[in-house]
Amino acid sequence: MTTPAQTSEPGRGAALAQRVRTLELQEYALAIVVVLLFVVGAILKPDTFPTWDNVRNMLTQASVVGVLAIGMTFVIATAGIDLSVGSMVAAAGVFGGILVGSDGTSSLIFILGAIAFATFLGSVNATAVAYGRVVPFIATLAMFSVARGLALLLNDQLPVSLLDLNGGSFGDPRPFSLLWFGNGRIGGIPVSVYVFIAIAVIGWIVLNRTRYGRYVVAVGGNREAARIAGVPVRRIIFSVYVLSGFLAGISAVLLCARLGSASPVSGNLYELDAIGAVVIGGTALAGGRATIVGTFLGVLTFALIFSLMTQLNLSTEIQQVTKGLIVLGAVLLQRPEARY
Amino acid sequence: MTKVLEVRNLVKEFPGVKALKGVDLDVLEAEVHCLLGPNGAGKSTLIKCVSGAVEPTSGEILFMGEPLPAGDPAGSLKRGVATIYQELDLVPDLSVAESIFLAHEPRRGPLLVLDKMYRESEALLARLGHESIPVRAKVGKLRPAAQQIVSIARALSGNVRLLIMDEPSAILDEAEISTLFDVVRRLTAEGVGVVYISHRLDEIRRIGDRVTVLADGRTTASGLPATTPTGELVELMVGRKVEQLYPDRPVGTDRVLLEVRGARRLPAVRGVSLQVNAGEVVGLGGLVGSGRTELLSLIYGLDQLEEGEILVEGKRLRSGGPRNAIRRGLGMAPEDRKSQALVLDWSETKNVTITDLKRFSHVLLDVRKERESARTQLRALNTVPDDPDRVVRLLSGGNQQKVVLARWLLHGCRVLLLDEPTRGVDIATKAEIYRIIGNLAESGLGVLVVSSELEELAHICTRVLVMRDGEIVAEVDGKDATEHELLRHAVAPTDAPVLVEEVV
Repeated sequence: MTTPAQTSEPGRGAALAQRVRTLELQEYALAIVVVLLFVVGAILKPDTFPTWDNVRNMLTQASVVGVLAIGMTFVIATAGIDLSVGSMVAAAGVFGGILVGSDGTSSLIFILGAIAFATFLGSVNATAVAYGRVVPFIATLAMFSVARGLALLLNDQLPVSLLDLNGGSFGDPRPFSLLWFGNGRIGGIPVSVYVFIAIAVIGWIVLNRTRYGRYVVAVGGNREAARIAGVPVRRIIFSVYVLSGFLAGISAVLLCARLGSASPVSGNLYELDAIGAVVIGGTALAGGRATIVGTFLGVLTFALIFSLMTQLNLSTEIQQVTKGLIVLGAVLLQRPEARY
Repeated sequence: MTKVLEVRNLVKEFPGVKALKGVDLDVLEAEVHCLLGPNGAGKSTLIKCVSGAVEPTSGEILFMGEPLPAGDPAGSLKRGVATIYQELDLVPDLSVAESIFLAHEPRRGPLLVLDKMYRESEALLARLGHESIPVRAKVGKLRPAAQQIVSIARALSGNVRLLIMDEPSAILDEAEISTLFDVVRRLTAEGVGVVYISHRLDEIRRIGDRVTVLADGRTTASGLPATTPTGELVELMVGRKVEQLYPDRPVGTDRVLLEVRGARRLPAVRGVSLQVNAGEVVGLGGLVGSGRTELLSLIYGLDQLEEGEILVEGKRLRSGGPRNAIRRGLGMAPEDRKSQALVLDWSETKNVTITDLKRFSHVLLDVRKERESARTQLRALNTVPDDPDRVVRLLSGGNQQKVVLARWLLHGCRVLLLDEPTRGVDIATKAEIYRIIGNLAESGLGVLVVSSELEELAHICTRVLVMRDGEIVAEVDGKDATEHELLRHAVAPTDAPVLVEEVV
């Protein structure tokens, strides 16, 4: 009988096509975009764009949103969303600030306080979504408002200066002091960039090489099937919002460390930046497909685009319009793959 | 008689796959033409070409002697080609009348003419012999069988000449199937040509006039009489003889693995007690809606018991959701593989190992070992392809079911709950699944199988329990079980098939 041979012919081709998975293709494509953007920048602004200073600056700024985007990748992988990350960054910073007071006792207390507070806010989201069965969009939209309000309330709408923390200075902060995390360098590379890369690497390992990560994607891919297969669905959903809050705390630390103050109006629209980077990276908004590499490249793409626009003297308003359109475009591009 | 549809040498290539390699089909007026073929033979592609959802690469489609415009669903519909897909494509929140006239509502200017819509809907339902379906009720409140009648009425609301039905009986029970057949006969009496796709060979003789068999994208036989012996049809479908459809019936032991005592959760389950012993395959038959699936959900912990208890190997199973049930040795292959069992965009490996990741997890997952273990199980079940990296969305229904079974083989459960294990599975793979079930029982598992195909229950089970209205009304020894006997228990003595549930 020749039947088996016949069926295996197209079968083999299809199998090969699947080996180069769509996700990987998208990651390669995005890596090329990152390189192209850099080349374009270098051509348009040869004196200022491809400089070590500019790259360092871009990466420092990218790391604040980058940390949020890693957390957002986990949330979106479960088919959820966290709109409150920007507000949580502001609230965490201000909370840490008033905790240490204006005299400044210890960087460590600021750092732990900010992270703990953001984690707490994240766990409120988590409880509402996982156990209160509130739609993630609504639960985190509410937190978006609550956390921003708290940030403004905690210190009468005023920013808290953190310059005195542990003495250091912007130019030469003492290692492991707060300002060091925002302005210090190791081997010429900003400390915050190391933090971002470390979190991205850990995020990749957790998502791709642990049981927990597999469960996260399973819940997003098919919640009912995951439950029947024995995945602790609610616990997983709970955990990703806590994680997102925790990383918002770290993001707040990086931001405050760079600026030397905690502002109640900081972190505005960071949720859009983070969601945008995740979506451009190829993580499916419908859940079930997530890529940390994509998110990392998405963060770089955003950073490059806006650095370039700034150097071309385009206003922040135009940048904001562009940002929104890019996110919309990325979602539109995702659509045909979400077959149904 | 005139030909409604003539398909000549139809070819359809998708990137990388040739789905149709030259298919011929004639459908006459007033006939039911059955379309047979294993999963992946090209049946769906063929009907999509006719309905205009897909544009063929080459070949001809003539409708009433005239070429049908390619890839134009609206054009096909306007000429009188209507298709009813397997997954009912109705909007649950619309009323029956709104569903029937969806997208071609009678209008006066910009306004809907509701009373005309209601009147015509009633007339259409009456034409199908189902005037009892209330036209103002929400479609979501109807039983699947009634929803299907609504779909057919919708097809008739245009001037239909050719009706294509893709596995209409898959979601129906026996009584509802005979109702459906009545409707089909009414249509053919009006001269409509019907293309009827089914995996259930017994239906061909009951409703079909002629049969066309597809295999691997080609017509292997066209226009055979419906009286063609089943064995011959199977051979045409799979290219070889299937020696034995049903394996030997497992005998079972006395050791009780699963015991259900007075399980109750209204309205679906009203006090059920049963036992499944090691080595047994116990069937759970009954009409759709008799509470079979709900009972499995209770046993597996997907729903909470209101009353009663469940014991696994003599010890009470506390309600703690599926995780608790799995820990105690239960496993489940749910009714709807795609929505309840599989992450469709995942590889076979990940779908097999999801329940057992602990085994491969030492802080980090041992991905290589995971893949090898999955492959071993997939091979054991003769899954095609047993490529552990293949995305399950692209597998046929039968192979998807094997992936689910491989999950429980890997996990090593004691009691397996199977809900409609062979739905949408072609005949050759069905035979394999029966053998797998038999082997599992042989190896000491207890298996509880829910199925709407009473014939299969009658052949593969040690014992068959029949449910009606949330209770077990009969227990039939496998040796004595026949389809007819089981159906007699499943249908209440005076039962005329009721398609409409109480409409609130």
